[in-house]
Amino acid sequence: MAQDRLTKPDRHSGISRRGLERLDLMLLTVEALDLNGGEAMLSMAGQLGFNDLFPNRVELWKRRCYNPLRLACRRGELSEPETDALISLLCALADRLYPMLRQLLSSAEPAQVTAERWGLFQKRLDELIRERLNPRRGGVQKLLDPKEGPALRLQLIHGLAFGAGRGGFDRLKASLMDASA
Amino acid sequence: MKVSHRFEQTSCRLRLDGLPDLSAGQAENVIGILSGWQLALAGHTELEGKREHLLALLDVVLPYARHLLSGVPRRFGADAGPVQIEPVRESGAGRCHRLRLFSSQPDTPPLELSLDDAELSDLVRCLDQLRLDPRVQLGFKLPAERPLPKREILERIPLRQRLFSPLAAATALAVTASISLMVPLPRRPTAPSPSPAAVPTVPLSPAEPNP
Repeated sequence: MAQDRLTKPDRHSGISRRGLERLDLMLLTVEALDLNGGEAMLSMAGQLGFNDLFPNRVELWKRRCYNPLRLACRRGELSEPETDALISLLCALADRLYPMLRQLLSSAEPAQVTAERWGLFQKRLDELIRERLNPRRGGVQKLLDPKEGPALRLQLIHGLAFGAGRGGFDRLKASLMDASA
Repeated sequence: MKVSHRFEQTSCRLRLDGLPDLSAGQAENVIGILSGWQLALAGHTELEGKREHLLALLDVVLPYARHLLSGVPRRFGADAGPVQIEPVRESGAGRCHRLRLFSSQPDTPPLELSLDDAELSDLVRCLDQLRLDPRVQLGFKLPAERPLPKREILERIPLRQRLFSPLAAATALAVTASISLMVPLPRRPTAPSPSPAAVPTVPLSPAEPNP
């Protein structure tokens, strides 16, 4: 389904800057969950047939830099094939990480173990945020805020869990195209 | 020739039983006519139903997950419908989701299932597998996923936060207007009073002509 869309002619994706911000943050969440996330992204892009769009790590990074919260932020918009490829990549990575996402969301796990998992995830995500995002932006400060951060992290994990797999593509894409409040 | 297909996730197992619709030219392993389905959720009673119940479940759970993804969970399912789902905030814990199933049998109380996020995402993945499986051709017409309008997105912002900006703007305007009203207006320079109307003086005696 996603592959069919990728053959459409080049045009704007209709995803707002806020949507691109969420998309990149979810990819960052994948990297926080998987220590080898960067390599996994590239390898998954190859498996999904996106070698033309993302032939190397730099090309993938350049597409992700449309996130306005990035330190090295790029202006402009991504085309529909580019955003569709990024969303397909995210859905496939989330599908691979689904057991981990499930553990974080499950209330059946012992509370202490769940708290330790969230703590570890938070530590890794915060490190990545400090390394790659602009700390002067309000959105970044909210992510690092001890009060507002947990709800935003849960929202990112929800995004991955409910957008995982082939069935999550349309759902995730529609949510990234939501009107900005 | 009965056909069964199973869709499984960690806490969820969905089984469909049916037959291929040979009149529509369906293959032997395709379910085109549903005879029944069973949904087993770990720790809960096994559910069974017919085609319309499965369609109702898809119609309610998938849009609910869509809204959850956008951060605006809300209740789905009509009051008279067979399936309802709504978010419930449990004290001390995170959010959970209450799935209510109404039996078509009279005098049967509704079955309530409380699902956590992990169980709900398992159910959503099972339903995704079902709707995308080419071996299941039940002709369900599910609405396409659409971006949420601004009206629905605004609901996730607390009312107090939403009203703060316009109220602050209105207050600032009122304060500025009151202060500006207290500033005395500069007096207009008084216009010079008009001189009494000039009355043409009539000479008492005709002027003597100059020689």
